[in-house]
Amino acid sequence: MFAFILRRVGGMIPVLFCVSLFAFGFVRLLPGDPARLLAGPDATQQDVQIVRESLGLDKPLWQQYVRYMTQTAQGELGKSARTDEPVATVIGERFMPTFWLTLVAMVWATILGVVIGVISGVRRGKWQDQTGMVLAVSGISFPAFWLGLLLIDLFSVRLHWLPTGGNETWRGYILPGFTLGVAVAAVMARFTRSAFVEVASEDYVRTARMKGLPERRVVWTHTLRNALIPVITMTGLQFGFLLGGSIVIETVFAWPGLGRLLVDSVNYRDYPVIQAEILLFSFEFVLINLGVDVLYAIVNPEIRLR
Amino acid sequence: MSATTVGPETIRSPLGEFWRRFRRKRVAMGAGIVLVLIVLAAALAPWLAPYDPAAPDYNNVLAGPAAAHWLGTDSYGRDILSRIIWGGRISLSVGFISVALGGGAGVILGLVSGYLGGWVDSLIMRLADVLFAFPGILLAIGVVAVLGPGITNVIYAVAVFSVPVFARLVRGSTLALKQTVYVQASRSIGVRRVPLVLRHILPGTLPGVIVYVSLRIGTAILTAASLSFIGLGAQPPSPEWGAMLAYGRSYLGVADHLTLFPGIAIFITVLAFNLLGDGLRDALDQKLR
Amino acid sequence: MPNPEISRRGLLAGTAAIGATLAFADLAHAASPSGILTVGVQANLLTLDPANANDTLSQGAARLMLEGLLGFDKDMKQIPLLAEKYDANEAATEFTFHLRQGVKFHDGTPFDAEAVKFNFERIANPANRLKRQSLLAMLDHVEVIDAHTAKCVLKNPFGAFVPTIAHPSLQLLSPAAIKKYGDQIGRHPVGTGPFVFTSWTPDTLKVTANPDYWQKGLPHVKQVVLRSNPEAGARIAMLQSGEAQFVNPVPAPMVQLVANNPKTAMLEAPSIFANYMAMNVMKKPFDDVRVRQALNHAVDQKAFAKIVYSGHATPLLSAEPPHVTFYKEQPAYAYDPAKAKALLAEAGHKDGFSAVLWGGNSTETIQAMQFLQQQFAAVGVKVDVRPLEGGVLASKIWTVQKPEDSELEMYYGRWSSSTGDADWALRPLFATSAFPPHLYNVGYYSNPDVDKALQGGLETADPAKRQAFYEDAQARIYKDAAWVFLGIGNTLAGRDKKLSDAWVLPDGGLLIDAAKLG
Repeated sequence: MFAFILRRVGGMIPVLFCVSLFAFGFVRLLPGDPARLLAGPDATQQDVQIVRESLGLDKPLWQQYVRYMTQTAQGELGKSARTDEPVATVIGERFMPTFWLTLVAMVWATILGVVIGVISGVRRGKWQDQTGMVLAVSGISFPAFWLGLLLIDLFSVRLHWLPTGGNETWRGYILPGFTLGVAVAAVMARFTRSAFVEVASEDYVRTARMKGLPERRVVWTHTLRNALIPVITMTGLQFGFLLGGSIVIETVFAWPGLGRLLVDSVNYRDYPVIQAEILLFSFEFVLINLGVDVLYAIVNPEIRLR
Repeated sequence: MSATTVGPETIRSPLGEFWRRFRRKRVAMGAGIVLVLIVLAAALAPWLAPYDPAAPDYNNVLAGPAAAHWLGTDSYGRDILSRIIWGGRISLSVGFISVALGGGAGVILGLVSGYLGGWVDSLIMRLADVLFAFPGILLAIGVVAVLGPGITNVIYAVAVFSVPVFARLVRGSTLALKQTVYVQASRSIGVRRVPLVLRHILPGTLPGVIVYVSLRIGTAILTAASLSFIGLGAQPPSPEWGAMLAYGRSYLGVADHLTLFPGIAIFITVLAFNLLGDGLRDALDQKLR
Repeated sequence: MPNPEISRRGLLAGTAAIGATLAFADLAHAASPSGILTVGVQANLLTLDPANANDTLSQGAARLMLEGLLGFDKDMKQIPLLAEKYDANEAATEFTFHLRQGVKFHDGTPFDAEAVKFNFERIANPANRLKRQSLLAMLDHVEVIDAHTAKCVLKNPFGAFVPTIAHPSLQLLSPAAIKKYGDQIGRHPVGTGPFVFTSWTPDTLKVTANPDYWQKGLPHVKQVVLRSNPEAGARIAMLQSGEAQFVNPVPAPMVQLVANNPKTAMLEAPSIFANYMAMNVMKKPFDDVRVRQALNHAVDQKAFAKIVYSGHATPLLSAEPPHVTFYKEQPAYAYDPAKAKALLAEAGHKDGFSAVLWGGNSTETIQAMQFLQQQFAAVGVKVDVRPLEGGVLASKIWTVQKPEDSELEMYYGRWSSSTGDADWALRPLFATSAFPPHLYNVGYYSNPDVDKALQGGLETADPAKRQAFYEDAQARIYKDAAWVFLGIGNTLAGRDKKLSDAWVLPDGGLLIDAAKLG
């Protein structure tokens, strides 16, 4: 097992290397001259040239690449072309808002998903099951920006209960967290339901039931606790998935997170920031995939041996 | 898990067995019927739509739902109902074609990867990792930026999202199928690779693929809407639903019907695809994550 | 607000004296500043070093903390700020500024002629790689005559120098702070303005009232918070829910939401943004003036205002909007599809033609392009609308090296003269020297008479002579139908009714340093 993990960790390095190469190539493949975009809408050609030189984009491509790789290898990400701040600072500032938003979204997803999942699982095949699943699936069927705008209209404009966005108070987290969370809730509910159904047929649950324990206790202590193990795994995976920040939700709720940063950086062709964001997301993703593979290997030893 | 008692008269073909189970999923059946109706409406657009979806009428802009225009008119005075009916063609095409392309590529990669194993597997799976790791929306921006705007390029952009999903899924089931007795047996009697994969492994992966196709079509329609939201979607005056929704949002609170109806169209269609997918999954007894 | 005499007309007369008493310096009722003013804006700020800022928003934000020698009032008329008066020589090569005395930067260092010299020469020096270097590219050096008199000596005559000095990018920073923070000065702005920098996170800028501000009685509010909210609907919601007291811009379709709300009101004024459609005059069929005139007759400017700006726009009747200097209205191309068809037929396009229309991919731009598509379809011109992402637009239009390489046929865009002056409204868009990649003449319009007039306007500082040159240029451009002239959108901002004296300049920039709550 240990050797397997080691092998997979070793496998991460080439992936990350490929991603860094890919990131470098990708940003330069995007049409559009960063100097032109950064110099602004009424810059003269002279201004554009000044920007180009200050970004080092007048150098040949290979020199830019060597500089980028040596910097990256040393953990140095350079400066944002758009705001002149160090890239690490730019990303650092944005990471935490996205992280907390993700956390709140997961709380929403877990509450909604587990409750719906358990009800559907217990009442399998009944109308509650069907209603629950339709409800859960509704969450991933909404265009997120529309849902977000509708929620703002209802809770901020009409009811004055919650702020329209921004992360300055805890109340600002509720709406964006919910909007992001409902999409995950559907997955969680499906997963909880099937885990529940499976666990419910296990011997120890049947034993508990035969012992004459009240049904509610059977459900909430015996079944749920065991059904939660895969659900928790699932949660972790989804959490990683959301860490990239949602462009749409961060835009609608004026959230200063990684998703919006990505759009802004692409709009201005802020190469250093785009590259760094790609690397960060890839790193998160590769770690999560590693987790999945390890889990697979635990479940199915044949894969480990191949 | 399915412990059906098998009596002489209950022996059914796999398809029959599937149908028997699927029919009992009332929700999924309902979703299927809704989808058939939506597809029909889109197909019959020239006959069903009361107006030309692109014809402006500056004297009747932003009119609410009324007898002449059941769902009202937009900021150019175009009939929203007609635009939704015609737009169904575009939105559904985006869903179907992008998933067909992305799914097709993913299935091939997954089969090759799972069956051959070794360095090919590592290579493909690492590529899938990279593709997965790459922020999807950024890829889409890249595709649309490089290829230019337009619905075809939106389809490509959305298709890219699906490739790694299918590749991973198919690789997983291929790995499992490779170990089955009949595949091992076929191999030992010297059936060549390509026919073996096509005849014995591919069909085994299909149930999962079918379920995912249904689920991914919904996702694809939503992704296209997100692209419209960031200004990279279908080209005007195309009545793609996501584009209608995205442009209509400037009128939120002023003329809500501009967003309400396209929003409902997307919601119902995507919901139906998702419920159908769930029903298929149950009927096919697939344990998918 | 009465304006002290510092018009361009006063320029040649020698000295334009300026009374030190400004209208808003209401000393008798000066109360200590109170309240927090939250402003919802569209995008994140990029930098607070105006010399390195190319967006109106960042410049407007900097205006809270920094001041220039000259500034703008809400109608974009020049007003004196750190300079009390100035004089220019006949040749428009030397401009002397007499500075306000007793003003200190927020870090306590004095504002004086040395500070002016340091700031201007920093910007003018290409080695400093500041994005607005070109604004002062004509500056040779600044002479310190005495502590409160600075003379700008130019390399060549530049008649538009005074409007340039009023440009927000030439607001002054403390030289001590520039030396201290180096290239990070944009994150630590230190100026002389009514507010002192407090903090700036990615989307929120906070500034606090400057107790030692030289204009007694200002500012009125204790703190200003600038929060960016890119989604229009959500930004309006900030105002409706009371989270913000001022939002800019309000998209035209949403104006009635703000206007109908009993707690909020609209602030609407003509902008200096000209909406136009350029045509590549080097390509067929746009090389034929009749085709370009036909397209002008094919567009109903009133419908443009109604459909694209929900009525919050006025027709564009020259190559520059009325609020830019030396504006001269031209006889309109009347909306007349029959005449358009006749002109097209005369030019050999009886059955119309097909063309591709490029533009940006914002919702407003896409709406405008669809409108044009519909209008042109009515006269048989089939238009393929292509909204392009910013970077693509840049590479396909602005960085094209040779006119013959340009694939552009038609382009929809808008332009505002950031100095409020006719030179920057016309030269970048119509001069032969302004072909991409130098400037923005994307239609490759070239008329030697227009070139002569534009150059003439630069070589004198005499307003009367400049007036004549620019009126000549405008008449020729309009007659040549270099553009399809569309309209001028209004600046649209929403305010809480408790808020007063917060403005949006005609260029869209914020002017909120004198804002009052309650």
